[in-house]
Amino acid sequence: MNNSDILVIGAGVAGIEASLLLADTGKKVYLVEKASLTGGNVIKYEDVFSNMECSTCMIAPKQQEVLQSENIELLTLSTVEKVQGEIGDFTVTINKKARYVSLIDCIGCGMCYEPCPVSLKNEFEQNLSEKKAIYVPCPGSLPNVPAIDPEHCLQLNGKKTCNACVEACAFGAINLSDKDEKIEIKVGAIIVASGFDIIDPAGFPQYGYGKYPNVYTAMEAERLYASNGPTEGEITLRKGDAPPKSIAIIQCVGREQQGYCSSVCCMYSLKLAHYLKHKLPDAKIYNFHSDWCMPGKYYQKFHQDVKEEGVDFIYSPVAKIKVEGNDKSLSIEYYNGKNEKEKLSADMVILSLAMMQGKDTASLSKLLGIEQDTKGFFMNQAIQLGSVDTSKPGIFLAGCAEGPKDIQGSITQAEAAVGKVMSYLS
Amino acid sequence: MSDKIGVYVCECGPNIADKVDIKKILAEISALNEPPEKIIIAKKHKLLCSKEGQDFLADEITKNELTHLVIAACSPRDHDITFMNVCKKTDLNPYLYKLVNIREHCAWIIPDKDEATEKAIQYIRAGISRVTYQAPLTEKELDSIPDVLVIGAGIAGIEASLSLAGENRKVYLVEKTSSIGGKVTRFEKILPHQGTNLDIIQEKIQAVQENENIKVFTETEVEKAIGFFGNFEIILKNIHNEEQKNDFKVGAVVVATGFDLTDPEKIPRYGYGKIEDIYTSMEIEESNSKTGKILLKSGKPPKSAALIHCVGREEKGYCSRVCCNYMFKIAQYLKEKIPAIKITEFYQDLCLPNKADQEFFIDTKNKGVDFIRFKDIAVRQKDKEKFIEYTKMDGKKEKISAEMIILAPAIEPAEGSKDIAELLNISLDETGFFQEAHQKLNPVATSIDGVYIIGSAQNPKDISDSIIDAQAVGGKILTQLIPGVKLVPEVTVSEISDAFCTGCQTCLSVCSYGAIYFDEDRNISIVNEAICRGCGNCVASCPSGAAHAKHFTSAQIYQEVLEAIR
Amino acid sequence: MKEQFTPKIVGFLCNWCSYAGADLAGAAKLKIMPSLTVIRVMCSSRIDPNLVLTTLLLGADGILIAGCHPGDCHYEKGNYYARRRFALLKKVIKTLKIDPERLQLSWVSASEGKRYAEVVNQFTEKIKKLGPNPIQTKPYL
Repeated sequence: MNNSDILVIGAGVAGIEASLLLADTGKKVYLVEKASLTGGNVIKYEDVFSNMECSTCMIAPKQQEVLQSENIELLTLSTVEKVQGEIGDFTVTINKKARYVSLIDCIGCGMCYEPCPVSLKNEFEQNLSEKKAIYVPCPGSLPNVPAIDPEHCLQLNGKKTCNACVEACAFGAINLSDKDEKIEIKVGAIIVASGFDIIDPAGFPQYGYGKYPNVYTAMEAERLYASNGPTEGEITLRKGDAPPKSIAIIQCVGREQQGYCSSVCCMYSLKLAHYLKHKLPDAKIYNFHSDWCMPGKYYQKFHQDVKEEGVDFIYSPVAKIKVEGNDKSLSIEYYNGKNEKEKLSADMVILSLAMMQGKDTASLSKLLGIEQDTKGFFMNQAIQLGSVDTSKPGIFLAGCAEGPKDIQGSITQAEAAVGKVMSYLS
Repeated sequence: MSDKIGVYVCECGPNIADKVDIKKILAEISALNEPPEKIIIAKKHKLLCSKEGQDFLADEITKNELTHLVIAACSPRDHDITFMNVCKKTDLNPYLYKLVNIREHCAWIIPDKDEATEKAIQYIRAGISRVTYQAPLTEKELDSIPDVLVIGAGIAGIEASLSLAGENRKVYLVEKTSSIGGKVTRFEKILPHQGTNLDIIQEKIQAVQENENIKVFTETEVEKAIGFFGNFEIILKNIHNEEQKNDFKVGAVVVATGFDLTDPEKIPRYGYGKIEDIYTSMEIEESNSKTGKILLKSGKPPKSAALIHCVGREEKGYCSRVCCNYMFKIAQYLKEKIPAIKITEFYQDLCLPNKADQEFFIDTKNKGVDFIRFKDIAVRQKDKEKFIEYTKMDGKKEKISAEMIILAPAIEPAEGSKDIAELLNISLDETGFFQEAHQKLNPVATSIDGVYIIGSAQNPKDISDSIIDAQAVGGKILTQLIPGVKLVPEVTVSEISDAFCTGCQTCLSVCSYGAIYFDEDRNISIVNEAICRGCGNCVASCPSGAAHAKHFTSAQIYQEVLEAIR
Repeated sequence: MKEQFTPKIVGFLCNWCSYAGADLAGAAKLKIMPSLTVIRVMCSSRIDPNLVLTTLLLGADGILIAGCHPGDCHYEKGNYYARRRFALLKKVIKTLKIDPERLQLSWVSASEGKRYAEVVNQFTEKIKKLGPNPIQTKPYL
C-alpha cells in the first residue's frame, strides 16, 4: 500500500521548511523533535550572517505556522525508535517522552517556574544560566509550553514530595503522572533533518577551555549576545566585573582533527566580531584565522565591512596557537605570517569549533538502515550528483545532518528533499 | 440593521483575572450599549482558547446572532487563528472579529491594577469601534496552470525539468544555444565527490530528450512573459528566425541561465591574450575532453605549470566558490598525463566548504603539487620565459617560471541576465546575479511569486549544488502548483479605488512584489490580488488616498487612534 | 499646583518584529508605562503620512512607529520606506509648530522584549517632559 504521510526527523530550520511545504499539499506530516521546542540551532542566534537579520523575526513565524498547521503533528521530546518497511510503507515506532505539561491546556504564562525549588544548569543557554526543573529553554520558545526534567524534579525523582508547580498552575495543565508513550505511525517517506553538534572543546586543552573561565565557545558567545539570552545581550565575563576590553576569536578549532572545513565558521566568527564591535566599540578584537572560506556572492563583502570596523585579522596556523593565563587574564601565543612566535593578551577568548554530526547520527543510521560517511555525517548518494538521496529509497537527507552548511544550504536541501518526496508519492 | 457586538473577556486563569478588574471592565463596556443601533453583550470566560471556551464562543455567536465579535485576551500571534476558526464554524465572517490584547499590553506590564483596568477598557473600546468598521472578507480561488517554463538547459535546467515533468505537468525547456547540457558537457571529469564521470550527465540529457512531457526549444529565447503565479503567458522566439514563435501558458517560470567566466584579458596583470601558453581553466577542460591531451602551443607537454586561483576575485568582490576544487582537478589531470610535471598552485584562500573538499585538496597536495598563498601576483614574460611574480603573505617578493599558466577566472552572471530580469520583472543584486526572495529562507524563489532562480544564475555553484537547487524548485512547485488544485491568495490585500486613482503610478514603484499593474486604457493602477501580500506600502504612498489595505484600512486604524487619545 | 500630565501616545507596531517584541516584553512581565496604546499594522510601511499628521492634529502627545531592523523587513524593504517617510514627516511636523521629537521611529526585533520596554518607557518620559501637544483642538476626521 502506498502511504503518502511523511515523517520528518528534526524540527530545526530544515525540518520546519520540509514539513511546512508538505503540509501545504494536505499531506500529513509527523515532525519528530527530541528537544522540547522547535527551531533547532538557528533560534540560538541573535542575528544571522551576512545580512544580520534578526533570527527570531525570521524563523518565529515559521515555528508558529508549524504549531498552527492542521496537517503537522509535532511530537516534541520524541525520538525514533524503530523503522521497518520500505518506501511507500514504513512503520515507525516513536518514543515520546513525558512532558508532564499539556500542550493543549498550558497557556504559557510561566507561573509555574518560580515556585519550583530546583535550579539546574540550562544547556540551551550553554550552561550560562540556570533554569528550574520545570522550564522553557529560553523566552520566546515555541511551543511556549514548559517541560519538566524528570531527573531533577524532586517529586519525579522521588527525593521529596513536591507539588509546587501543580499548585501554581491555574489551568490544571501539569500532570506529574504523565508517562512516556510509544507511538506507532505509518508513513510513505522519511526526511532526516537531525542537524549537527559542535565538537567538544575539552578535546583541545591547548586553548584552555574549561581551565580558564574566560575562554568561551562561539555558541556561548552567541547566547551572551542574544537579547533573549542569559545576560539579555550584555557581554560579561565568567570571571571579572567589567566587560572585556580585548577579545580574541580563534577559528578552525577542530578542523584538522575532523578532516573537513565546517564552511560556516569564518562567517559566524565575522558575525561575532561584528557583534562585539557593536556592543563594545572600544574593545580590541582579534581574529585568528586560516584561509577564509566565504563561498558565494554575499560573504566577502561582509568580511570587508567587518575589517573596516577595526577588527584585527591575524593569519596563523591554529594548531600552533596556545592559550595560557589565569582566572582574570589570558595570553595567546601564536605564530605570525612570518612564522615568528608572538604573544598577545586578551580578557576573553572565543573558540570557533568544528561542526560535527549530530550525537544520535550513529544510532539513527542503524535504525533507518542508511549509511554514514567517513566523517560521521549521513552519506549522500554522490553518484546521483545531488545530496539528498540516501542509500535507501524513500529516505532523504536535509540540512546539516548531511554535512556542515549554512541556513540557505539547509533550506535548499529541505526543499529538494520535498521535491523528491513529491515525485515519489504523488 | 443594528450591530450586535459580543465582547468576551478572557480571564486567562489568573493571568488577566488577577491583574485587571474584569467586573469593572464588563460594567463599563456594557454601558456602551445603545439599543437599538448598537447592542453590546459583554461577558467573561475563564479560558477562551480552551476547547470549552471555543464552544462557548461559537454558541454565543449563534445564540445571540452576533454581527461582530470582540475578544479581549492575549496576543493575536497566539490565538488570532484559533478564534478566526471559531468564527468559521459559525455564520460570522472571521474578518468581523477583533482580538484585543489585554494580556501582553495591560495585565502583564502594568503593575497597578487600576491603571491596567483603565488601559484594558481603552483597548476594548478601541476594539469595539474598530470592529464595526471592519468588512467581511472571503477567500478567493484561482485556477492555475501546472505547466512550467524552464529557461536554460544546463545541468540545473535539465534536472529541474526532470523533477517537474509528469503525467499532468508539461515542461517547456528553452535553450539559446543549439544543444542542451550546458557547460558541464565540456568537462572531462566531474569532481570526485560529485560522481567522477560524465555518464550521469549524458543519461540526464537523454532522459530529457526521451521525456514526452518535456518540450525542448533550442536556439530560442523568451520574448514575452506576462502574468502571475499560476498563470503566465509566454511567447518564445527563434533566435535565427524572428518569425518562428511559440506561445503557451504556464504556471511558473524557472530561470536556470547559469554563469559566464570573467574575461581574464580585462585584468592585464595576468598576461592572458598577450603572452603565449596562458589558458583559462575552461580552455584546458575543453582541450582535455576533446583531445585527451593538455599540451603547449608548440605541441609539447609542459614541464611546469602554474595554476592561479582567484583571478578577478578582487575585482568582483566575491569568492566564486568552485575554483579551488576544479583547480585541484586540473592539477590531477596534469599529474596523470605528465607525471614529471612541476605544478604550483597560487591562491588567496582555499575555499573548501563541502565536507569532502579538504580530502581532495590533501590528495592533490600529496600528489606533489605545491601550494603558495599570495598577496599580489602578476605574470611577466622575459626572453620567451614566463615568470609568475608574487608577494607572499609575509611581504617577501618572489618569482618562479612556468611553461604553462592556467587561470581560474571568477564566475560571473551569464550574459543577458539583465534582459531576463527585465522580462520577468525580477531583480539583480549588486553582484549582478539574480536576487533571491530571501537570502536565507527562500533562496530559489524571487520577489515575484512563481518565478524561481536556480543554479549559478543565483550564486556561483558547483554541479551538486546546482542539482540540489533544481530539486528544490521541484519541491516548491510540486507542493504549490498542484494540477486541479486551486490557488487561494492572501485575503487581506490592497485594493485601489478606480474612482480616486489619478494614475500617478507611485504605488507601482514601491511594491516589492510587482503586484500592481497599470491599465493604460483606463489610466489607473490595479492590484493583482493573486500577488499582493498586504504590507500596505502602496497605501502609504498613494497621494490621492485611492489605495486601501483590506482589514487595515485608514478608517479602521483611526477608530483605534481616536480611542487611544480620548 | 501643577497637575500630573498623563500623555496620550499612539504606538504603531509592525506585526512581524515589533509587535512580537512587545509580546516578549509582556511574557517577561516587564514594567511598561501605560501611556502608549499599541496599534498593530502589518508593516511599518503601512503608516502613511496622513495617518501620522492627523493623529497629531487630533491631539496625540506622541507617536511611536516601531518596525523591523533595517534589512529584516518581512516584506523586503517596507521599513526603508517607513524610514524615508519618517525623515520627511519630521520636517513637516515642524511647520505645524509641533516639536518633531513627538514623533519617533524605533527598530525593535522579535527577540528584543527588553528593548521594547526601554523604548516605550524612554519615549513616554520624553513626551512627559515635552508636555501636552499644543494642538488641543480636534479639527476633523
